[in-house]
Parts: sequence; structure tokens; C-alpha cells
Amino acid sequence: MNMVKNSSLIQMKGVTKEYIPRKWFFSKDQSRVVALNEVDLSIKKGEIFGLVGQSGSGKTTLGRLLVRLEEPTSGSISLKGSLINTLKGPSLKDFRSKVQMIFQDPYQSLNPHLSIAQTIGEPLVVQGIGNTRQRRSKVLHTLEIVGLSPGQDFYDRYPHQLSGGQRQRVAIARAIVLEPEFIVADEPTSMLDATIAIQLFTLLLQIRETFNMTILFITHNLAAANYLCDRIGVIHEGCIVEVNTAKKIIGDPVHPYTKKLIRVQPCFDFNRG
Amino acid sequence: MALISIKNLSIGYQTKGGLLKAVDNISFEIEQGRPLGLVGESGCGKTTIGMTLMGLLPDNARILSGSIDFQNHDLTQLGEDQWRKIRGKDIAMIFQAAMNALNPVMRVDEQVIEAIVTHKPGISPGDLDKRVKELFDLVEIPRIRMKDYPHEYSGGMKQRVIIAMALACNPQLIIADEPTTALDVIVQDQILQEIRSLQMIMDTGLIFISHDIAVVASVCRDICVMYGGQIVEMGTREEVFGTPCHPYTKTLLGSYLSLNNEWKVIIPTMRKAPDLTLKSGCCRFAVNCKICSNAGTSGIPSWINISKTHRALCCSEGIIRKKK
Amino acid sequence: MPIWIRGLPIDVRGRTKGVFMLKNHYVQRFLQSWKIFIENPLGKTGVIILFVFMVMALASFVVPHINPMYDPMIGIDPNISISTGPSLTHWLGTDNVGRDLFAQLLEGAKVAFIVGLSSAFFSIVLGMVIGMISGYAGGTLDTFLMRTADIIMVLPSLVILLILSSLFGQFNIWIIVFIIAIMRWPAVSRVIRSQTLSLKHRPFIEASKVAGASHLRIIFRHIMPNVLPLAFLYMTFRVTSAILVEAALSFLGFGDPSQVSWGMMLQWVWKSGNMFHAPYWLLPPGISISLLTLAFYLLGRAMDEVLDPRLRKEGRA
Repeated sequence: MNMVKNSSLIQMKGVTKEYIPRKWFFSKDQSRVVALNEVDLSIKKGEIFGLVGQSGSGKTTLGRLLVRLEEPTSGSISLKGSLINTLKGPSLKDFRSKVQMIFQDPYQSLNPHLSIAQTIGEPLVVQGIGNTRQRRSKVLHTLEIVGLSPGQDFYDRYPHQLSGGQRQRVAIARAIVLEPEFIVADEPTSMLDATIAIQLFTLLLQIRETFNMTILFITHNLAAANYLCDRIGVIHEGCIVEVNTAKKIIGDPVHPYTKKLIRVQPCFDFNRG
Repeated sequence: MALISIKNLSIGYQTKGGLLKAVDNISFEIEQGRPLGLVGESGCGKTTIGMTLMGLLPDNARILSGSIDFQNHDLTQLGEDQWRKIRGKDIAMIFQAAMNALNPVMRVDEQVIEAIVTHKPGISPGDLDKRVKELFDLVEIPRIRMKDYPHEYSGGMKQRVIIAMALACNPQLIIADEPTTALDVIVQDQILQEIRSLQMIMDTGLIFISHDIAVVASVCRDICVMYGGQIVEMGTREEVFGTPCHPYTKTLLGSYLSLNNEWKVIIPTMRKAPDLTLKSGCCRFAVNCKICSNAGTSGIPSWINISKTHRALCCSEGIIRKKK
Repeated sequence: MPIWIRGLPIDVRGRTKGVFMLKNHYVQRFLQSWKIFIENPLGKTGVIILFVFMVMALASFVVPHINPMYDPMIGIDPNISISTGPSLTHWLGTDNVGRDLFAQLLEGAKVAFIVGLSSAFFSIVLGMVIGMISGYAGGTLDTFLMRTADIIMVLPSLVILLILSSLFGQFNIWIIVFIIAIMRWPAVSRVIRSQTLSLKHRPFIEASKVAGASHLRIIFRHIMPNVLPLAFLYMTFRVTSAILVEAALSFLGFGDPSQVSWGMMLQWVWKSGNMFHAPYWLLPPGISISLLTLAFYLLGRAMDEVLDPRLRKEGRA
């Protein structure tokens, strides 16, 4: 028991998230929308955990709860054994430096008025790390890590001068510049072409190697999760229906929904070579 | 006799940065009952071709050269009035964004009726009613849902209505532009089955445009791979996906993830976007092509016939033949 | 054309452009917008009219130094004691005490600029800050601020100003500016608020929230640059209304009596009974008010087109 507790970085227990629709004067129906229903989940340190589900399954909500963009209606979420639901002030800010997020749409996730340097440097400035010169070298270094090299070429550019893939690399750079312990990647490649997506997957794997980061990879694409992740959780209508290693999920699915998902994956069997 | 044949078509967009050739010298033919797939990444010109075939090019685009023969007409020469007669009747389109293609304040069946009446103003109410019911049966929407409004439909059902509207006038050619991209995998699977079976029943011409090679492979027998406005490889799906020749096709296939191909994945190197301002006839993939950077070729590609149906547009014929 | 170096093309043009744009991002954006702006016939007309009035306003500083009798307020031509028509020494004529009308017109242009721009500026700053805070904070604060805005918005500003000035006597020009600003922020703050609402849930805002940025930082660092163009657009329209309010107030006799303005000129021509026999006195300030407000309105319309590409015609290279 102790072993398990030590190795898990994120622990969710009975987490429920409900949205209460806005009340109107004449609406009788007070039904709540349940985005997540009693979710238990633990993510181990250093692993890439894939959360696979269709739109509306609550997978994005789960990611947003983990970075505290939203608060759960009930249940507890802890990072390394300490509860994050109730964090406030300095301890919340400290938590922010440990957990980062990569968003889906690279065209929306960068502020068009900030240069690449300002965008990536933002977390450093906010967390008050280093002086201007140190921050500059950190940003340049991070640019090289995410494959935007030479870094000087990109340093003073603005998002509108970059392609979708490059923007997403900038977004990844912003997420790793604080060297967080945990990153939530919410469908980071769903807006990008396959050839770009595969490069970003390689980048994520590399980052995991270098920094020993834990990554929650949220996706609707089972094949991508299979490629990237150590373990996969399948989420359906707010419930996690199956969690297992990627190999087992694909090779030996148990839950009927998982089976269905695997069956409808567009297959592609023209044996090459 | 081909249903529609496109010859040396080039289309340019007038922008501040000069003329962008979104489509450069493409030729292909579509036979009745043989779906053709256009595969390529965003910005490769596949949607521009779809729009051209519907006569819906934006104002700043213009056809630079080439012809499109359809029923003994050259579609590139048509005026807006003539287009209006063809559009929806002989050539119909299944749009990508099903949510936006339906009018939210009209009942679903009214929208289908409108699609019919536009081209058959004299149709009797009895026939019209029969036809609408037929169409709803065809796309497997229960008749009790006919009078609903679009917001009461799920994404998949909306896409079915869009398909019904496209089929309303028995078109000879259907252009499906990323019809399943916005849908979930499960719904996508249903819609693809729908399209496949309808295509068998109706026996129309079909151009299926998508960025997803597996989706295209599941519907189409002939495949054209596009890059930077050029068709770089064409052939039957077994040829193109089984024995790809063009380096770009290989990259595209190599970066496609499916549940059982992990070991085959090839990570492409950082690539530059194709330069659309290049002169016509230059290879647009050359900037990213390993063969070109190693061998230092001319940059002017030519068509290399690999089999009767399979050809590739490349600068280095020798390497392509040897690799094969 | 790309240049080939070791088999890799380097687009020289793209690179130099990139380097050029490095530090001058804002300059570049401004120049781009300016180009669209000045190509627009409305914008061009507006800018030309505005330029003429600016020259007039600047000239008002020079004129009194040519000859003390050209001082708009206290300079009196000793030879004239009634209103006279245009002549060589007095291009537009004089008023009933012998002050030069052209000098007054120039002074009026200066005052119109000061009143218009400063009250518009104050109301924009106020409206923008309140709008951003209201939209970003939401909840009770939002409701409170927006209800306040609603109340002020439905108050008839001119009537309020008239009542206030009849209560407290005639106002100094800066108090008028201030009151106009206070009366005119709500419309701006509504627009800025709705813009903020749509920005609030954009991923780049959430990203900086995840990074730990404070609310103030998010508002002023991330939201403000995105609403600023809209604020400037509204500023041009505010200028128009501020000039009109000041003119109306002065004409009705509630303006700053120690300050020449176009409205004040109209008040004097009316009060001295020259309304119907001195068109050279009546028309110039009237036309100037119309033209200047028109210029700012045209500017706003053209700016609207710069900000909203949908209004722009496509393919205009």
C-alpha cells in the first residue's frame, strides 16, 4: 500500500463535477449536467497517462480540474499526497509552478500581442524566477529543447509569424519552462496535420525522458494514445470505464465501450513493403 | 467515358504577398461509381479543388489555366447563372461543418424540401412528400424526427441530413469535403458506412476529400495524394498505400498512427511549408525531400509511370524505380 | 526566389522581413493598419479635415504674438467698436467689441481639441478599466458595475450639466471635461466588457492563469492589449459627442466665460443680437463644429474597417 502511494503523483478520489445550468425565471427543470461522476484515478510518477474519450465524455473537464482551472463539486484531488482542492495564495502559486497545461488550439492559446519570448517567459516572470538575463537564456534554452532552433530566430517573433506546429511547440515550451512535475496535454495535436502531430509526440516523449515529467495526455485518438502512453484510461460519459497498460487496453479490452472504440478505429491494412 | 475530367487546372489566390498558386497544374478523371480520394494536409489545395468543382471559389481566387469537362461543358467557363443550374442538381457537396450548414430556424424536412424544389419547381406535393420520405429512409433517419429542428439532432444525424440534401436531386457527382472530420470516431464509422453503401446504391461519381488517409482508404478505390497544390502520386488505393513511391506519400503514411503499426512509424524531420509562389512546374516538395537534397536534382519533376494506373510526380525517376 | 545554401533553401526575403519585424512589432502593426486606414476614402477625408483643424489649433498659439489685438479674448481693435465684416486686417471680421473673429475661430479649434480629446480619453480609460474588471470578475461586482453603468447611461447628460451649472455657477472648462467623461464611460465599458467576456475563456488567458499570474496581471497584460484597439475606436466617437456637448453648453450660456470656444462664439453672436445680420460671425464656428465632428466620425468609421476585416473588401492588395 505504501509503495503504491509513494509512486503515484496524482490521486483522484470520488471526484464529481457538476455544472448547474443558469437559472432562468421560468425554467422548471433544475437538472444538473454531470461532467464527471465519482472518478477515481491515480497517475504514477514519470508515466504518460492517456485519457481517451469522445467529445462530451468529460475528459477535458478532468484535465482542467487537475490544473485547478476548475474546482470539483465533490471528491479530493491530491498531488504527491497533499490535497490541492483547498490551496490558496502562496501555496496555490507554488502549486502552479509544478503543474502546467498544453491547450488544444495553438491558434487560440498564444496571446497575439506577446512575442514568443514574452509568452515563454511569462511563467518565469509570474513566479519571479531569475533576472532578465537569466530568464532570457532560459527561454532560449527552452526554445532549443522544443526544436525551435536556433532560438534567437524565434525569440522576438510573434505568434502570427509561426505555423500551427511551431505555435504548439511554443505552447509546449511555455508549459515546460518552469520544469513542472506534471503536465496536462489536452488534445495537443488534434488541430494539426499527421506529419506535424507525430513530431510533437516525439517531442513529448523526449521531454519526459529529459525532465522525468509526468504527462496526462488527453485525446480522442486511441492510436495516438497507444503510441505515446504507458497506461490508458478510457472515459465515457463522465466515468472512467477501464484503466490498464496501453498494450492490454488495445490487445485485451474488457469493457464493451473500449471494445467498440477499438472496432471503429479506421483501420488501414495495406501491407507495405 | 469519364464523368468529369480535369485537365491542367491551376488556381491562384490574389493576396498581398502576390499570387499564391493553391492548385498547380493538376489533371485527373472521375469515373462513375469509382470514388476518388484526395488526400493531403491542410493547405495542400484539396478544398480549393472541391470549391472549384462547385463553382464556389472566393472572389480573390481565379482559375489561371486548364479545363474541367463535365457533360460536354467546360465548367471553368460557366457564369454564375449557369452554375446555379448545375450546383446542387448535377454536382452536390457534403460540407464539413454539419452544425453550420443547416439553418437553425427551419425544420429539417423543410430544408430537404427546399433542396429539391430549387431544382424541380414543378414537382407535385405528393411526389415531393414521397421523395423526402425516401431520402430520410435512405440516410436512416426515423420519419418521426423529420419535423424536428436541427438543434434537436446529434452531430451524426445532422451530417446525415446534409447527405440527404446532397442526394436530393440525384446528382451525378458528389463532393464530400472532410465529411467526418468534426465527428467522433464512433459516429464517423457510421457515416462512412452510410457513404459507402449510398455510393453503391446510387452509383454516382464521388470525390472524397480528407486529411485522414485511413478514412479515404475506407471509401475510395482511387487515391490522389496532394502536396502544396500538386498531385504528387495517384493510383488505386492498394498501389498508393501498399507500395508508395513518392517520398511525400511515404512520409504521410509513415506518420500515420493506427493501432498496429507502431514499429512502422517514420518520424519526419522538421519541414518547411511549401512555397506556393514558386513557378508552375517546380517540385514543391523539394525543400523537404531527402532525395533532392542528397542528389541535388533539377527541381523540375515529371510524371513517372509505375504501372498502368499508378504514377508519381518526382524529379528522380531512377531512385523511385529502384526503390520500388 | 530562394537562395540555395548546401541544398537547403533560405528565403532571404522572409528572413530580412523577420529581422526587421523583431523589435518593431507594434510599429509594424501600426503601419499596416495605417495603410489600410489611409487607403480608405472615409479615413482619408477624415484625416485631411483633421489636419486642417490641427493647423488651425496650432496657429492659435502664434496669432496673438503677431499683434496683441489678435488675442481672441482680450485683444480689441481700437478702431472698431461694432461688429464689422471681413476685411484685410480682420479676415473674418470682428465681433461687437472689436475682437478678431478669425483669432477666435483658431482658439476655438484648440479648445475643441482639448475638450474633445481629453474628455474622450478620460471616459475611455474609465470605461475600459471598469469594463475589463466587470467582465473579468463577473458575479456581484459585474452586476453592480453594469447596473451603475445602466443608470448613468440613461441619464440625459446635457440636462444634468445644465442643472449642475445652474446650481454651482459657471464651470471651469476642465470641470466640464471631467463631467462629460463621467457621463460618457458606460457605453464604452459595456463594449469592453463583452469583449473581455469572450477573451476571458480563451486558452491563452487560462494558460497564464495556470502559470500563476495574478488577476491584475491577466487584466492589464493579457486582456488590455486585446481590447485597446476597440477602445481607440470608441474614443473617436466619444470625441465627437464631447465636442457637441461642450458647444451646446456654451451656446446655452453655461460654458466657461473666460474661455473662447466655438459654442461661446455662437453664444456671443446670439446674445449681442447679431445672429441674423452677421453671417460672417455665425457661420464659421457652426461649420467648424460640424466639420470637426464629421472628421472624427469618419476617422472612427475608417478605424472600424481596420479593426474588423470583414468590412474590408477582399483582394484589395
